[in-house]
Amino acid sequence: MIGLALQMLRADRAKYFAMILAVALSIFLMQNQASIMMSVFAMTGSQIRDVSEAEFWVMEPDTECFDQVKPVPASALYQVRGTEGVSWAVPLTKIDGYARTEFGKLSVVTMMGVDDASLVGLPPRILKGKAEAVRERGTVMIDPGGANLLFPGEKDVIGKRVRIGSESLRVVALSDASAPFTGFPILHMARTTTLMLRQAEERDTTFIVGAYKPGADVAAVERSLRERFGLKALTAEGFMKSSRDYYAAQGIPLLFGLTIVIGLVVGTVITGQTFMMFVKENSRHLAVLKVVGVTARQFAGMLAAQAATVVFLGCCFGTALAAGTSELARELPFLRGVFLPGWVAVATCVALAAVTGVAVMVSFRTIQQLEPAAVFR
Amino acid sequence: MTTAPEIQKTAHANARWDAVACRGVKKHFGEGDARVEVLRGVDFGATLGEMTFLVGPSGCGKTTLISVIAGLLDPSEGKLDVLGHQHGELHGTARVLFRRRNLGFVFQQYNLLTSLTAAENAAVPLIADGVRRGVAVKRATELLDRLGMGDKAGVMPKVLSGGQQQRVALARALVHEPRLIICDEPTAALDHKTGESVMQLLATAAVAPDRAVIVVTHDNRVFHHAHTIAHMDDGVVTHIESIKH
Ligand SMILES: Nc1ncnc2c1ncn2[C@@H]1O[C@H](COP(=O)(O)OP(=O)(O)O)[C@@H](O)[C@H]1O
Ligand SMILES: [Mg+2]
Repeated sequence: MIGLALQMLRADRAKYFAMILAVALSIFLMQNQASIMMSVFAMTGSQIRDVSEAEFWVMEPDTECFDQVKPVPASALYQVRGTEGVSWAVPLTKIDGYARTEFGKLSVVTMMGVDDASLVGLPPRILKGKAEAVRERGTVMIDPGGANLLFPGEKDVIGKRVRIGSESLRVVALSDASAPFTGFPILHMARTTTLMLRQAEERDTTFIVGAYKPGADVAAVERSLRERFGLKALTAEGFMKSSRDYYAAQGIPLLFGLTIVIGLVVGTVITGQTFMMFVKENSRHLAVLKVVGVTARQFAGMLAAQAATVVFLGCCFGTALAAGTSELARELPFLRGVFLPGWVAVATCVALAAVTGVAVMVSFRTIQQLEPAAVFR
Repeated sequence: MTTAPEIQKTAHANARWDAVACRGVKKHFGEGDARVEVLRGVDFGATLGEMTFLVGPSGCGKTTLISVIAGLLDPSEGKLDVLGHQHGELHGTARVLFRRRNLGFVFQQYNLLTSLTAAENAAVPLIADGVRRGVAVKRATELLDRLGMGDKAGVMPKVLSGGQQQRVALARALVHEPRLIICDEPTAALDHKTGESVMQLLATAAVAPDRAVIVVTHDNRVFHHAHTIAHMDDGVVTHIESIKH
């Protein structure tokens, strides 16, 4: 009977396609929004994640997220290095500034000054040029989004110059830095270069990053830094969470969540309505089947098969569309962090299937209440 | 018509009601002011190997009676025996399965499933009973062939004429070789010639020694096909006559 049920479903082309389309669009909307939201939130920690060697980040107590920082006192580096349980620690400088190019492009940029000796803090992958090249004073490494923004249409940015204040810096490498939450270009350079750009009186270290000794008591290190030196220490994970929470508190998830819920409601309402209409319009045929001797259990199987087919096809199309869109978005330099997590794809499909199940149950009741004797009329 | 011979006829027929026997069957719809007595004590029956006609004016309760016999409606009162099962013996799924294996139906409105081919429509009772689709459709196609519809097996119902659709419906009623076939006004939607040929087919293909056929009709031009004619009026069977062939 399942085969016949599917044949009945496919025969009503208009409703069949309408239902698949409704499911697909609903799935697309939910997955797309969830994907953008999750990707954007992942971006809040992208620059922290990029410093893959760092197990901990030490900062000013007021610093809550990577994008809003206060520098630490010069003494902090030695205080961290002197703390029990710390294996190594290096300074990291983050400053924001205005960059101009000879093409007249102007942009706020995020600059990361890394320890000259260890180069800890550079992105894990370099696309063009050599990481070591930034040791030369007055040179920088640029990320793909920044290269695209500051040097639009240029194939090769190596050797190009960026003006920051009164200094002219030379691009020596193209990094594969993760897309930042701010969308600003990211320039990585040696700390000696960032120092050229700063006013003498400014503190020149933003973070101290480093690693614990094997078996060190992480909580004890954090407590010691807080109590003895008034410094905030977070694990890399902790700092990413803190950055994420900082933005999450601003209501972004609520807006995305609303769109996701609307997607679910609209999708299931259209699908459910159409499905129930399909059953209603077929009620004479279903009554005939009842007379001929189709059991309640068989009807349940038929309805489930019909709904499952629609939901399955719709979910496939919708997911393909959402995955395709996020692939395309990844091609855009500023959205290169967009991704569609597998569990989001599964969860949206499960949510839609569950709500569609309600329509199946309502339709089943409709069939149960059909008066079979009515087919004689 | 006088009363005495009719009663004799009824008594005579009673003895042979081996497929279906209704005695004092009553059925009403609604309650209170809305209550309608549709069957008011029906004595009626059908015999294996015979075609029994149930005739009477529109609204007299014919469809209600066969719905009760088919187990689609419950009688309010009276005794009902269908193929050896008393009313009330079978419930729920058991009743559905009994109907599926033992009964075949032909309706006035054909009631074919528009999304299935002629052969698939005819195969529905077998498929519902768990016969593999390929096997079921093959058997249905063979039956359609015997009913003169062999070339239409793969055709959708909407391109078939009324007479052709009714032949497909007939195949659906016969395909699982039920012991009781119930037809409600099978020729009412057809012109005389087509109706006559459908009845002809019913008389030759459906009637079998181990099967009873009940035909509701008020088309007196086809009465000559009947072995027995039960006349119904206002919720009761008034008299039953046997036809000599
Ligand atoms: N479900 C129902 N509820 C109320 N009245 C009904 C119902 N079914 C049939 N009737 C009434 O029962 C009477 C007999 O109907 P029916 O058995 O269809 O007659 P026939 O088939 O002889 O034309 C009619 O008056 C009809 O209106
Ligand atoms: Mg009727």
